[in-house]
Amino acid sequence: MIAPLALIGLISLPIIVAFYMLRLRRRDLPVGSTFLWQQLVRDVEANAPWQRLRFSWLLLVQLLIAAIVVGAATRPFSTAQSDLAANVVLIVDTSASMSTRTDDEDRAELARARARDVVERLPEGGRITVVAAADSATVMVSETHDTDAALEAIARIGPTQLEGDLTDAFALSSALAARDSDSTIVVVTDAAGDELPATGVGAPVLVERVGSTDANQAISALSALRRAGGAQLDLFVAVTNPSAADATRRLEIYADGALVDARELDIPAGQRSEALIGTVPAAAGTIEARLSGTDALAADDRAFAIVPAEQTTRALLVGDGSAYLENALALLPRLELYAVGEGGYADALDQADAAGTPYGLIVFDGIVPEDAPRLPALYVDPPSDGAFGSVDGREEAPAIDRPDPDEPLLRFVDLSSVHVGRARQVQLADGLRAVVTSTRGSPLVAAGDVGGSRLGLIGFDLDESDLPLQIAFPLLTSNLVDFLLPTAEGVLPSSMPLGASLAVNVDPSLERVVLSTSNGDRTTSAELPVVGGRVTLPAADAVGVRELRVADDDEDPERAGALLGSTAVNLFSSDESDIAPGDAERLVEMGRVTAGEERPAQTARAEWWWPLALAALALLAVEWLLFHRPTRRSLRRAFGRRPQPLGGRAP
Amino acid sequence: MPVTATHRAPFFDEAFLRRLEQLELASRRLTAGRMKGERRSTRRGQSVEFADYRNYSAGDDLRQLDWNAYARLEKLFVKLFVEEEDVTVHILVDASRSMDYGEPNKLEAARRAAAALGYLGLASMDRVSVAFLGDGTATAMRPMRGKRRALELFNFLSEPRTERLTGLAAAARAYAARMRGSGPMLLISDLMDPGYLDALRDLAGTRSQLSVLHLLAPDELEPEVPPDARLVDRETGHAVEVSGDDDLVDRYRARLVDWQAEISSFVARRGGAYVLVPSDLDLADLLFDVLRRRRIVE
Repeated sequence: MIAPLALIGLISLPIIVAFYMLRLRRRDLPVGSTFLWQQLVRDVEANAPWQRLRFSWLLLVQLLIAAIVVGAATRPFSTAQSDLAANVVLIVDTSASMSTRTDDEDRAELARARARDVVERLPEGGRITVVAAADSATVMVSETHDTDAALEAIARIGPTQLEGDLTDAFALSSALAARDSDSTIVVVTDAAGDELPATGVGAPVLVERVGSTDANQAISALSALRRAGGAQLDLFVAVTNPSAADATRRLEIYADGALVDARELDIPAGQRSEALIGTVPAAAGTIEARLSGTDALAADDRAFAIVPAEQTTRALLVGDGSAYLENALALLPRLELYAVGEGGYADALDQADAAGTPYGLIVFDGIVPEDAPRLPALYVDPPSDGAFGSVDGREEAPAIDRPDPDEPLLRFVDLSSVHVGRARQVQLADGLRAVVTSTRGSPLVAAGDVGGSRLGLIGFDLDESDLPLQIAFPLLTSNLVDFLLPTAEGVLPSSMPLGASLAVNVDPSLERVVLSTSNGDRTTSAELPVVGGRVTLPAADAVGVRELRVADDDEDPERAGALLGSTAVNLFSSDESDIAPGDAERLVEMGRVTAGEERPAQTARAEWWWPLALAALALLAVEWLLFHRPTRRSLRRAFGRRPQPLGGRAP
Repeated sequence: MPVTATHRAPFFDEAFLRRLEQLELASRRLTAGRMKGERRSTRRGQSVEFADYRNYSAGDDLRQLDWNAYARLEKLFVKLFVEEEDVTVHILVDASRSMDYGEPNKLEAARRAAAALGYLGLASMDRVSVAFLGDGTATAMRPMRGKRRALELFNFLSEPRTERLTGLAAAARAYAARMRGSGPMLLISDLMDPGYLDALRDLAGTRSQLSVLHLLAPDELEPEVPPDARLVDRETGHAVEVSGDDDLVDRYRARLVDWQAEISSFVARRGGAYVLVPSDLDLADLLFDVLRRRRIVE
């Protein structure tokens, strides 16, 4: 027994008996005569405080209940062989896909149940560490022998809306396992998604896979562009159906909370459907796309977008005139586009400066100026060295390497069907990073900060690629311009990923700002301190719109409550939206292979206080029946019988 | 017009009284009475019902000689006839405090039963003697005869009366000592008195035909006792502490059955009858069914 001290409770047994022997204050009941009763209870001593103990079923039942409750309190257990080591690290996946919920499946509760089961299988004397893992690991309880504490920790674990990444959890587990060679890592997960942890663990991995459904559709892209001078926005929405069945979902578009568009989308299994919507009023500030109805994962059924403010920057396109590039730039409402040939470049800059309307962005198409401007610039197909780096010939028919899905410059950009005829081989200058590369390592698209100016690079001629013919091109152009002109939407970017924290610059004279997060239904606010003109926004943990405002009680009443910036937080994770349980063996293989190794047999402790508790409950019911049982007379009354006169029957 | 008591609600209505007149109290023994009534007597006398012959002896009434027998047998025989005489019906009502209990009240039930049985006797032109037993004495009314005395009988039975103590044996002995005439004797009592056997012995010893109507309340037959109760005797104030479980009730019932058997056997050995009468038993059922089947009335 785990708690032998509870045996002290056995003292209740003689106390119960004593209560039965103690003469009770009884209720007076007048009767015609006690003539017969006296003969029945002659053995009762009228004045003694104690009476002789007589057999009573009630007493027997109460003694049994007391004994069983004491027995249960001692937490008796039996032992059995365990498949777990003495040191167990229990990782419970809390990524967004674990919040899958249908009428038949509550994946988070399933995970907790499996986790509890692991605790119950813990070998005798074993210790356990419980880790909740989403995009990072959180230790809920560390190396404890106390199974109650472990169970309480498991009860506190709930799913998040964050992307899953077991790297942190595996790294932590490795560190714990390194201290004890007899360790087991148990991962409770749906194994959904393709991403594997970046690190393995030095201990055997057991996977408790949960979940079964894959019925989910997700909004995987949402982008709003303000068309210059237009009355409507250009809205781009993509809905993905990672499930194995075709689906039809109703897509609803809300502008500042008002429904402005709704349509049915047919999404084939494993594919995505895209919609270009031109019915949203240009005056809208916040756009929400919503898949009406329900599916297994609610977090990806809503997405938000902040419409860029109508603030234009003069941009100069220098080159021979690429219609694709010109059209893509002209579509961006924040740009006021001017074009000039290579020869007129210097004069155009001078004239603009003289007129007091300098350019904010220069786009060089197929040329590199001798004097690089100290302005944000985009170089397309540069023929020679420049601020972006050096050009070392060409690469023929480069194949596009798989890009980083988290790359913000490739947001909503699908390059899987893009082909490039040939590209410049560029050695990037310090400060630039490759966004898209060829399989040979040549940067095809790059961006960065060189000498205090932001630069972008497209390393091939657009005419020698099918990129301009695809929807990816205007999106890539828009993303590059957003990068090159970062202050267009206030202090916040128009979007930020879930789980990411962010430090932004604000007016150094501010002391406090207020960060509010709203998902349309619920709004939460938090006050953040401004330190040296910088504010650190905590990681976003839910889909919605975040707004940063000056505190209402700011010392300058004119700016109190003023909006500093808005940003949209969306899940947009193909791994999390694909909720179909994955291949658990891939995780198992990341652990130390134990084949051929003999781990000493462990014994697990199976507590069985609960059947005792059930027995005590049953006995309580019996006690109640014994106490309140109907008398024979009341039964006779109920069934209409009455005493027959004895001797009144005919012989 | 119904015969009613003076202080209480009427015992019976006229229709019930007419039904009662169809009955009469049975007399198992032939008794010797003092005047002619409607019953047969053990005394051979002058009536029309032939009983037996006996040899003539000097002094016999010559009118009783059977001359036809003499002609045939040349011996003198005297014809003997059963003489019809009255009997005295004794109705004794236990008026102790233990009888003033129950729902319906046992004493009230006893009064009604005594009134009905007394009326039977009056209607049969028997002498009826009614007495309350209590406090060690018997309070009897003067014996009466005839239906015209019914009102007097009912008034006597209606008088408020509950005695403090039973003293059933002493009261029965007192009544037996001064009773006159024999015949059916009906004792209506709960017999909840330590001297109940002495009382029965004294009453049975009067050569009357004793019938015991053992009157008990329903909750004395099937008691319902709370788990922890103190039973207080209405008569003596004595208290008994009990724990009312089925075991106790079972033992009570067993004791009750034994007690009834003891009384029944005691009375039967003395030629009497025993009838248990729950106080909620309908009077008509008692008279026309129970007592009739027991041949106490016919």
